[in-house]
Amino acid sequence: MTNDCIRLEHISKRFGRTEVLKDLSAVLHRGEILGFLGPSGAGKTTAIKILTGQLKASSGEAFVLGTRVENINETIYEQIGIVTDQSGVYERLTVYANLHYFAKILRVDAARVEELLKRAGLWEHRKKPAGKLSKGQAQRLVLVRAILHRPKVLFLDEPTSGLDPSTALDIHSLLTELRDEGMAIFLTTHNMEEAARLCSHVALLNDGQIVEYGTPEELCLRYNQLKRYRVRLTDGTRLLLGQTGEDVDRLSALLREDRVASLHSCEPTLESVFLTVTGRTLQ
Amino acid sequence: MKPIHLNKLSAILSMKWRTLLSKNFIIMPIFSLGITVVMNLVYGSLAASEGGEMNSTLRSMAAGLGALMNTAITGIACTGMALAEEKEKHTLRALMTSSVNGLEFFLGSILPAAALITAVNALIIPAAGLRLPAAGWGIWLGISLLCALASSVIGMIFGLCAKNQVTASTLTTVPMLVLVLTPTIGAFNATAEKISRFLFTGVLSNTVSALAEGTPKADLFGLSVIGAEIVLAAAVFLLVYRKNGYDPD
Repeated sequence: MTNDCIRLEHISKRFGRTEVLKDLSAVLHRGEILGFLGPSGAGKTTAIKILTGQLKASSGEAFVLGTRVENINETIYEQIGIVTDQSGVYERLTVYANLHYFAKILRVDAARVEELLKRAGLWEHRKKPAGKLSKGQAQRLVLVRAILHRPKVLFLDEPTSGLDPSTALDIHSLLTELRDEGMAIFLTTHNMEEAARLCSHVALLNDGQIVEYGTPEELCLRYNQLKRYRVRLTDGTRLLLGQTGEDVDRLSALLREDRVASLHSCEPTLESVFLTVTGRTLQ
Repeated sequence: MKPIHLNKLSAILSMKWRTLLSKNFIIMPIFSLGITVVMNLVYGSLAASEGGEMNSTLRSMAAGLGALMNTAITGIACTGMALAEEKEKHTLRALMTSSVNGLEFFLGSILPAAALITAVNALIIPAAGLRLPAAGWGIWLGISLLCALASSVIGMIFGLCAKNQVTASTLTTVPMLVLVLTPTIGAFNATAEKISRFLFTGVLSNTVSALAEGTPKADLFGLSVIGAEIVLAAAVFLLVYRKNGYDPD
């Protein structure tokens, strides 16, 4: 169990009579990104709050770095980083002063602050009051603050929600680097492209329940029931072929004749898998 | 009891000190100091218009009003609103999930407020034209510090109960008025005077009067009142904190 960075075992959460999380189980290892993918209100933020000790689960057990979430203390907080929509910044302080404050709390040297400011593209904004940053810059500031102390586990709640594609891409590449450095990342998102691009495993969450779990590729292949291929021929003709004997013969003939310009499988996206499983979209 | 890490405490102390010195908060102690100067001038001109001179009683009234306002407003409103602001802007949650514990945050919040209140109360003495002997200064600073601690802890209670700064401001108005007005009215009304003996602000007011009259003494009853109120406020704070934490969902 101690090798798992995060382990959820049959976690449920009720607010009054409403059950917002139902029997969630999942595991996150070092150097992986686990995505909780679901629409607003699916229970993603509640899951993060339980895992970070901000909420108590109604039943089940959850462990972060081998410690039960009910027992999360300062020692565990020193090894995790959290980015949520409620990760406030001191608006009157400059970007640098915000980070310097947390660096002092987390015993991080100034060189690390400067390194991360440069890495996140905030160096030129370091003297700007945090309240004057754009949404994307503020989100990067919160992310930098969360990784200042090189946490073993990073929790991200919709980290690119409402950001422009370029800023979102910057954040994605930073997350990929962190994952490659061995950080375990727990990500919630309703952006299926983000999940497909970043996550080692995804859990599709609907009405507080995990309805599918696996790698993005596994899930897409699992629901690839039509098994169709989009073919574009050298003369510009487009074909949609299946795996029937006739289509297979036709495709192999086209390939032999060197008439195929491109060939793509038509497995579903995570979004269409979600739609198939739940009958609803992610938005 | 949770351990206190000096690096975290020192970071919070410097941040809170910075907050108290920001324009939103520093206005309150400056106002208290200003009211002392203004009241001193008003009493002086009143005394002069009647052919008399400023006496120690009038000076102690000016100093008492300033000290009461400073202690109650800076302690309760500034501390309560600073905590409410951290909740409103979600920075408190960021701190708590960055390994800062409740005790470190509590001490980091009340100590700068108590230090500021004590410093301003020290300035109020010369601003009112009073001169104290060394023993008098010791008593005044000691009583001021204890009253500042009581008032800051009360401010933290209201900060815990408030969701945002507006609510904190509304909630703290009544206790501030009671704590300032009761000893002030006590100068003219026997019932208010009796009640004020059981308030830390009443003890503060009586202390400045005694010092101005040149009879500085350690008032054991007054010290017990302040001590009891600090303990009571701390107990209420702990009760509310254990029930809801700093920032409940």
